[in-house]
Amino acid sequence: MSSVLLRRERAIGIALLAPTVLLFGVLILYPMLQSIWLSLHRTNTLTLRQNWAGLDNYADLFADPAFWRSFLNTLIWTGGAMSLQLVVGVGIALLLHGSLVGRALARGLVLFPYLLPTAVAVLVWRWLFNDLYGFLNSVLLRLGIIEHPLAWLSQMPDAMISVILVGTWKFFPFVVIAVLARLQAIPDALYEAARIDGASRFAMFKDITLPQLSGVLSIVVLLRAIWDFKEFDLVYLMTGGGPGIGTQTLPILVYRQAFQMLNFGRGAAVAATMCVFMLLFFAIYAWANRRLVVSDR
Amino acid sequence: MIGRRLRFAAYNLLVWSVVLAIAFPLMWMTSTALKPNAETFAVPPTLLPVHPTLEHFVRLIRETPFLVYMANSALVGLMTTALVIVVAIAGAYGLVRFRFPGREAVAHLVLFTYLLPAVVLLLPLYLTVSAMGLANSLFGLVIAYTTFCLPFSLWLLRSFLAGIPIDLEEAAMTDGANRFRAFIDVVLPQALPGIISTALFSFILSWNEYLYALVFINVDDRKTLPPGVLTMLNQNQNVEWALLMAASVLMTVPVLVFFSFLQRHLTRGFGAGAVKG
Repeated sequence: MSSVLLRRERAIGIALLAPTVLLFGVLILYPMLQSIWLSLHRTNTLTLRQNWAGLDNYADLFADPAFWRSFLNTLIWTGGAMSLQLVVGVGIALLLHGSLVGRALARGLVLFPYLLPTAVAVLVWRWLFNDLYGFLNSVLLRLGIIEHPLAWLSQMPDAMISVILVGTWKFFPFVVIAVLARLQAIPDALYEAARIDGASRFAMFKDITLPQLSGVLSIVVLLRAIWDFKEFDLVYLMTGGGPGIGTQTLPILVYRQAFQMLNFGRGAAVAATMCVFMLLFFAIYAWANRRLVVSDR
Repeated sequence: MIGRRLRFAAYNLLVWSVVLAIAFPLMWMTSTALKPNAETFAVPPTLLPVHPTLEHFVRLIRETPFLVYMANSALVGLMTTALVIVVAIAGAYGLVRFRFPGREAVAHLVLFTYLLPAVVLLLPLYLTVSAMGLANSLFGLVIAYTTFCLPFSLWLLRSFLAGIPIDLEEAAMTDGANRFRAFIDVVLPQALPGIISTALFSFILSWNEYLYALVFINVDDRKTLPPGVLTMLNQNQNVEWALLMAASVLMTVPVLVFFSFLQRHLTRGFGAGAVKG
């Protein structure tokens, strides 16, 4: 191809991407920089006048036990929800990967919670968890597992456990769909060979299925960790961060600092701290997934 | 022979019990929405409504601003999707078919922003939108929703477009069509299922969004469904669960309809396309 044509091709490519790059710059990059700027200033929320504060917002933040509590809560929520999603997701993917009657419907029913509005998921579960008329208490009482109704969402650690359970229900389908896609790609010949050698079902799972899944699982773990780490809606709507700050995670802390306490600097400092973690996650993701990232054509 | 059949039956029984347990909250939601108030609070609860009624749906539509919320949600979803799809088709096509400096960087940026927490952009976007006089406006939400719908759509469309063989375009261009014509006549028809799926996913994303809507909109008649319906939860001392479940059912219906169209593309649409499969 002549260099003139090549240059023209380049120009078209750049022109096609221009609106995207423009929107990214204005709506994502600029606000990110603005967020860092805000975290380095004290903002008067009435006049919006800003005074340089250096790293004061960060110093105050790291000296605040509530920040560390929220940080710990975020780790508990992310760790708990992610591991349950992983275990339940892999288990159900294995169950669904067989000759099942009505397989398409079963898959649809299992996957649907992932696309359900979080607001709906939370409303339904809060109704199930309701202390007086909730289905859950009524069943547990009848089975004799509890002696009187539990107020699931207003005491610790029940509130955190409830949030983790609902988070598992809402997001495990992601694991199912990724694992199912991979399971279908494992060659049958591997299992046949093992069967001829007289391997048990467990041995086949351990020596064939798991190693074949390991690549997918490491990326799934990473993505779910990122998405659970930044989750606001589900936790906030389930408990509002309560009781007290018992289930307050970092995203909720950002919201509270910025929009309830109107401390923009502190809120932005929390957000920037979260960003550092996201960068870390992203670096791991890019490293673990180098071959695939955006050039899988 | 009998052993194998028995195992098949046991396996099906097991899997379907698990599936129904997972779907139970949604069945419970529907069941509660159809129960008269007296039955909602029955102890012990009845599994299916004994006297099914549509009274809650009627009340929801007649006595609450539910329809206003729904119209707002639909409007924001449509505007966001229209904007995002046009920009994303151009961008994705540029990424897939052209070589130019910075292409890889843009692609990485797309991925990174798809993983970025909404709370990071929340405060600066709110300040910008307010400064533009768009607080309490649905346009403010469209701006905010572009920050996650655009990276998502770009990513998804890129994978759809990358699956279209380049030969046909080249053939059309050898026949004298220019790039634009080749794109309209050859690429677009082939990419259409992918474009429609992406649009549906993008609509669902904005339909479900809660945080930006909570912060940006403070007047009742501009609220979208998620914060609107949750205000109904916190408004009253005695929570009317049957009414809230009716609202939940109606919020779920559009998602369910789209979901059934999307079955084939779920792996990509869930973002699981990012996982090597």
